[in-house]
Amino acid sequence: MLPCGFAVNSLRRRAMVLLAALLPVLVTSAFEKFACAQSALRGTSPAAHPGVKVTFNRDIAPIIFRYCSSCHRPGEAAPFNLLTYSDVKKHARQIADLTRSRNMPPWLPEPQEAKFIDEMRLSEAEIDRIERWVEQGTAEGDPTDLPPQPKFAEGWGLGQPDLILKAEKPFILPAEGTDTYWNFIFRVPLPSTRWAKAIEIRPGDKRYVHHANLLVDRAGAARAREAEPGAGFGGMEIRIETQVFDPDSHLLFWKPGTVPAPEPEGMALRLDKGTDLILNTHLQPSGKPEIIQPSIGIYFTPQAATKFPMLLQIENDRELNIPPGVKDFLVQDDFTLPVDVDVMGLYPHAHYLGKDMLAYATLPDGAKKTLIHIPHWNLNWQAVYRYAEPVRLPKGTVVSLRYVYDNSEENPLNPNHPPARVVGGNRSSDEMCHLWLQVLPVNFDPAQGDPRMALQEALARHNVEKNPGDFEAHYNLASMLQAKDNVEGAVAEYQAAVRLRPEDATANNALGAALVAAGHSEQGVGYLRAALKARPDYFDAHYNLGLALAGENDFAGAADQFRLALQLEPRDANVEANLGAVLAEMGRFEEAKVHFEHALTIDPNQPIAKENLEELKKAMGGR
Amino acid sequence: MRHRLQFFLTPIVAALAVSSGVAWAQAALDLDGHAVNPLTAEAGKVAVLVFVRTDCPVSSRYAPVVQQISQRFAESATFWLVFPDKSETPESIRKYLAAYGYRLPALRDPGRVLVKLSRVQIAPEVAVFDRNRRLVYDGRIDDLYAGPGRARPAPTTHELEDAIEAAQAGKSVARTDVRGVGCYLADLP
Repeated sequence: MLPCGFAVNSLRRRAMVLLAALLPVLVTSAFEKFACAQSALRGTSPAAHPGVKVTFNRDIAPIIFRYCSSCHRPGEAAPFNLLTYSDVKKHARQIADLTRSRNMPPWLPEPQEAKFIDEMRLSEAEIDRIERWVEQGTAEGDPTDLPPQPKFAEGWGLGQPDLILKAEKPFILPAEGTDTYWNFIFRVPLPSTRWAKAIEIRPGDKRYVHHANLLVDRAGAARAREAEPGAGFGGMEIRIETQVFDPDSHLLFWKPGTVPAPEPEGMALRLDKGTDLILNTHLQPSGKPEIIQPSIGIYFTPQAATKFPMLLQIENDRELNIPPGVKDFLVQDDFTLPVDVDVMGLYPHAHYLGKDMLAYATLPDGAKKTLIHIPHWNLNWQAVYRYAEPVRLPKGTVVSLRYVYDNSEENPLNPNHPPARVVGGNRSSDEMCHLWLQVLPVNFDPAQGDPRMALQEALARHNVEKNPGDFEAHYNLASMLQAKDNVEGAVAEYQAAVRLRPEDATANNALGAALVAAGHSEQGVGYLRAALKARPDYFDAHYNLGLALAGENDFAGAADQFRLALQLEPRDANVEANLGAVLAEMGRFEEAKVHFEHALTIDPNQPIAKENLEELKKAMGGR
Repeated sequence: MRHRLQFFLTPIVAALAVSSGVAWAQAALDLDGHAVNPLTAEAGKVAVLVFVRTDCPVSSRYAPVVQQISQRFAESATFWLVFPDKSETPESIRKYLAAYGYRLPALRDPGRVLVKLSRVQIAPEVAVFDRNRRLVYDGRIDDLYAGPGRARPAPTTHELEDAIEAAQAGKSVARTDVRGVGCYLADLP
């Protein structure tokens, strides 16, 4: 036996952070060219004066070109073109009706102080002008008044992407029925980490895709849901577990009219070897079967990210328990920011009962800022909204949600007829009360650690206080405490999580690992065995149990666990080094040497193997 | 509800019936260009005209529903698709029928003869005529759409089917006109 024993590698703290990760790309759309042309015309149109006949060329075309043509053109989402006089005349009354009711152009938020990029909101004067044009007989007017036709990028909006991925298998949208939600998995074939400055989403046939969210899945967690690789899977909301604290950071989103734009300077999106991108699509039947086969185009940059935003998910689904017939069911939440942030954009989200959605901030000085107000929510036109200028919210600001739901017969979109009780959940017939804020921490001291962890911890603590039965909140709070080396606090929160889900493999593994780290190997062993009972092929739990048993001087038991771990991941240098260490402890030097050497062929710098091999050689007398 | 002058309607229909077969410029045309009066055909059956636009997504979404209802009532009702858009050619209509799986006879109505007779305003709307060729219902197929862009998960009323059943039974229709959600026919060239 060696005098000082063999060093055993540190615990594998693969604590999972369960982020309910909806991960939209926020794409800024750009209609700059027309914005300029139009601003000159606004308010100065001769048709603004009563008595002057409204003409298409002079008064209407500028409105149509600016607000309508980007979607109403060949290959885009809208069902017919609005590019010429005859196009527009053929839908003139419909346009007058739909603009008056503000169904078109689709833009849900009310005007507010904090402006969004590409607001698609007509002025009352513009709406009046369209109406008068129709009433007066849709005159074409003087050809010389017609502004030039808008120009749009053909093909990929940002030029040829560096990498184009097409969904492996198309989804066949049935001819009839109700809304369908389908998820496509793109396996990004990267040999090593790259940085993406933009990802353009081409959702397949744009006429049938209402919107799409792109989610980053770094652990291949969604693959298990495919019936066969590449097949995709159904479901309106998807959750992705991440192995380490690696919070979602970008709002990757497509809706009709989206023009792709690069992420802000310094905010490239990291794509690792093995990263999957999941495109979550909302589809509506057209009357005939449609083939939906999306693609994504990735634009790389050599510039690694220097700014690290985070998606802050504020929610209160637990309060969603809406009796049938109730027209104004209010759900609220108030979250206090622990650090200064710039809000870059946001993504409010509810399902079919959502009616009025308000989010506002109360600053430490008492001032109130509306973040967004959607008085007539429509799931079909949900969108990511990005601010023209980031909204600065200092530490101590309270972010408040006030969402109102209509579960009465008067809500035509009610999934139940007659109305039935609706609770929070991921199915389209359930309801949600979520707001994702893309925030960039500012004014922080890097020496104090990643400020996003403070945000995550505060949010988890807030959710635990609000709902002691929130498994994910306990789990995430534990992860954040563990990351701060508050092991006792982490153990208490993991225990709360395990009490809520006694058979959850992930939580049992994390609790077991935390107990071992806190020096309670004996207690840890029980939870790690529970994790393996729940999931026998759980690599991390085998590894952690091996370490725990080694800590209890059960080297044979430890060796068994490391061997089981190696069956699952044969080229793991840590496991090889630790297996070598326990074998050496048992005096099986020749076998130990093989495993140390194997560890070093996998990773020549594996420190435990290096150190132990030298010790071993000394013990074996230089053999 | 709109006030109806039904006693005027029958003679107008009769007049149309008389003029069918004459190649007058205003007649509805089949896809081979022949003048057709759908109301003189299959006299013993209820007649249903379905007004559609190829460029109207709401109208197109109803294709499977219209096809199914026409099958359900195949014994007792005769169905015609009517395309009022002057700019639609027989070729573009044939292509559309194939894409959406329609197997119903299609008519072009460039002179809006059938539109006027049916009092319809929107695509998709339907007109139901009883065996005496009295207009008993004009309007939406069902209430799938509560408003523009606001489709229910499933319709809760079925006006077209109710009207056909009433017309078959010689009973009066509860609501003789309910406007549809979709695209205006008056906007068409």
